[in-house]
Amino acid sequence: MENFKILIIILLSSVFVDNYVLSRFLGICPFLGVSEKRDQAVGMGVAVTFVMLLATAATWPIQYYVLNTLNLGYLQNIVFILIIAVLVQILEMFLKKFSPSLHKGLGVYLPLITTNCAVLGVTINNIIDGYSFIESMVSSLGCGLGFLLAMVLFSGLRSRINDVHVPGPFKKLAATLIAASFISLAFMGFSGIVEKIFA
Amino acid sequence: MKEKSSLSVFLNGIIKENPVLVLVLGTCPTLATTTTVNGAFGMGIAALVVLICSNIFISLFRKIIPETMRIPCYIVIIAGFVTMVKMLVQAFLPDLYATLGVYLDLITVNCIILGRAEMFASKNTVVSSALDGIGMGIGFTLALTVMATVREVLGAASFAGIAIPFMESFKIEFMTKAPGGLLVYGLLIALIHVVTHGKAPVKASFSCEGCIHSATCVSGACKREGVES
Amino acid sequence: MKNSIKNLTVFVCICTVITVLLAITNSITAPIIEKNQNASVNAALLEVMPEGKDFEEVDLTEYELPATVAEVFRETEGQGYVAKLVTAGYGSDMVVMCGVNADGVVTGAVCTASNETLGKEKTYGEGFTGKNADEVDAVDTIAGATKTTEAYKNAVKDALNTAIILGGGSVDIRTEEEILADNLNAALPEGEGSFEKWFMVEQLDSVDAVYAAENGAGYVFVTGEQFVGVKADGTVVTDGVTAPESFAGFVATIQASVLEDIDLSVYPDLEATVVSAKKTASGSYVLETKGAGYGIKGGDEYHPASNEYIRVRVSVTPDFKIIDCLTVSEAETDGLGDACADESFYGQFAGKSEADYTEIDAISGATLTTNGYIQAIERAFAAIKVLNGGAQ
Repeated sequence: MENFKILIIILLSSVFVDNYVLSRFLGICPFLGVSEKRDQAVGMGVAVTFVMLLATAATWPIQYYVLNTLNLGYLQNIVFILIIAVLVQILEMFLKKFSPSLHKGLGVYLPLITTNCAVLGVTINNIIDGYSFIESMVSSLGCGLGFLLAMVLFSGLRSRINDVHVPGPFKKLAATLIAASFISLAFMGFSGIVEKIFA
Repeated sequence: MKEKSSLSVFLNGIIKENPVLVLVLGTCPTLATTTTVNGAFGMGIAALVVLICSNIFISLFRKIIPETMRIPCYIVIIAGFVTMVKMLVQAFLPDLYATLGVYLDLITVNCIILGRAEMFASKNTVVSSALDGIGMGIGFTLALTVMATVREVLGAASFAGIAIPFMESFKIEFMTKAPGGLLVYGLLIALIHVVTHGKAPVKASFSCEGCIHSATCVSGACKREGVES
Repeated sequence: MKNSIKNLTVFVCICTVITVLLAITNSITAPIIEKNQNASVNAALLEVMPEGKDFEEVDLTEYELPATVAEVFRETEGQGYVAKLVTAGYGSDMVVMCGVNADGVVTGAVCTASNETLGKEKTYGEGFTGKNADEVDAVDTIAGATKTTEAYKNAVKDALNTAIILGGGSVDIRTEEEILADNLNAALPEGEGSFEKWFMVEQLDSVDAVYAAENGAGYVFVTGEQFVGVKADGTVVTDGVTAPESFAGFVATIQASVLEDIDLSVYPDLEATVVSAKKTASGSYVLETKGAGYGIKGGDEYHPASNEYIRVRVSVTPDFKIIDCLTVSEAETDGLGDACADESFYGQFAGKSEADYTEIDAISGATLTTNGYIQAIERAFAAIKVLNGGAQ
């Protein structure tokens, strides 16, 4: 029961409180770049969540059973990024071959994910935070869902911005960033809530 | 490709194609590490070192690195230099290491570095690649420092950790928090737009050209699906 | 095919070169990093044990230590120990470093991390320097932060106990709850370890508290230091009890206590102050009354529109003596007024009479809460007068 509580807290705090995009600034590029349309935002979010889970499932055992036992901790960065790159490649080939419809939906976002700092960030953070395997998976799920949530919310906001008149210098980029700032401000309201759920 | 003059290569990154303010690359560290001037400057220098080393290394081996395997090769080289810089920072600047934390590791996926490897170092001589790296790195550091100055002065009433006495009662703590970062970044981009009369940020929209993923975007995802705005 | 082998070879070569470079860098930086980390750990330890020379971490697996102890460092020349303690304060965990010398005296205590609301705990540890185990409780509390103070004192006590245990001694490291549970279980093993405090609705001579076994096996009476177990049929289990028959009588009284509901709609005057009222066979009253909490501005006026009152259950003899008292609910400030829900506060009212019920220790930093609580008791007395038919 106690373990279950910890998992719930990890999940909720990574979705809301420590939202990767809005409070830790990881994965900002796709957040700004692919949030124009809701469909794309959802596609990107789902793809990121999936790759995060896959990457964590692969990197956690490698860190603890290979790198740590061989005392090669300093290769963490290289190994992780290569694993992510390879995973993304394999996943894309797999989808292309076995599920063309899914590939059509998610496949186009996959190449963009290799250099998404949120994915590398979540795998490294799981190790830094000393999470167990299950906790790492839950935290990755939470981070992915948090990313998806931010993307979807923001795509809604952007479609509104596109419909209104924005003063010249603020067109496009500046207005988008300031709008993102407001969403981030709203998410600040979550801080301190999660720890209190079971208090 | 015609070689540009050394000076123009060098200045290019600082002003005309400032990676942060004009190309809008490397947004994650720009937002995350600019809460303090020290952190931002440290981040800039760390990225600068990685950028120079990886540019030189990649340019040196540009004839050997096979076309089809180039992205994994770049990633390994960059990740290697990032880890080296990380270890050096941890050993000799432990305070900075504590401030930057995981963001040091994440220089690996900083699009500026991969982008410069793909767009410049792989096509130019070692000398101009090094100059390009220095220019881009300084441009990155400058932009980060400017942003951090605004945020730290307004948000924490201090500059590089030194308190500014008369500002103490006018702190806007929000500036050092996440939303403040996005707000200041947005305002700076708007300011650049005004200063350059709207010329610079043309490139800055989220087009494929400015897209961080243009380096790795092998399947041309943006073009095919019309992702660009 | 030939091409891809060549490509792969190049890739592997690059990987090898980079790995070799990394290994070289690592071999240069690793010792420095380790030295830095040791230095920063040592600096933290020296802060709480300035006399210390060098420290080594103690392997804690073979010791049974208080739950708060996270790490312990031994001063290599035998000057004492430094314990790192993680406590649960209000809001979140607090990390306290505490040094104890060979004589069992605190050499320093410092809070290295906390998300507490006040921030005074940063310097609070200074007060413990030079104190031994008996003097810790006397250290001044932080005004308005009872729980933080309590957690801090317990952490320091745990550090002192840890030093004794590591030095080969033995200490009772049980918490108060564990001690109570052990005592209850010893007094009435038939209760199978699960007891619930019984709210005393009848006066039982010289009995401080009664615990009922949840499986119905019987009761444990606390009189002074003694725990007396009595089975449900009145058999006294505990040896050496001076007047066993009186305890049999108490059990009979408890079992016979029938609470008769009083219809409050007959007394419109009491509507605003009394939640419920019951009467026992012997004429005692069990009332639940409201007191104005801190949430209500002014502190002494009950505001009917607000839900933020303190709800108190109190049992009173016909001659206005408080038998037992309990906080049913409260919405007071976390870490301050919510101390009114602690037994250490409301337990003070039991045994008081109408003349002296205000003479209790107030909750530090929460005067309005204390006043509101006293008001709730005052209203109980007033209500009984009304129920008895007298003038209010």
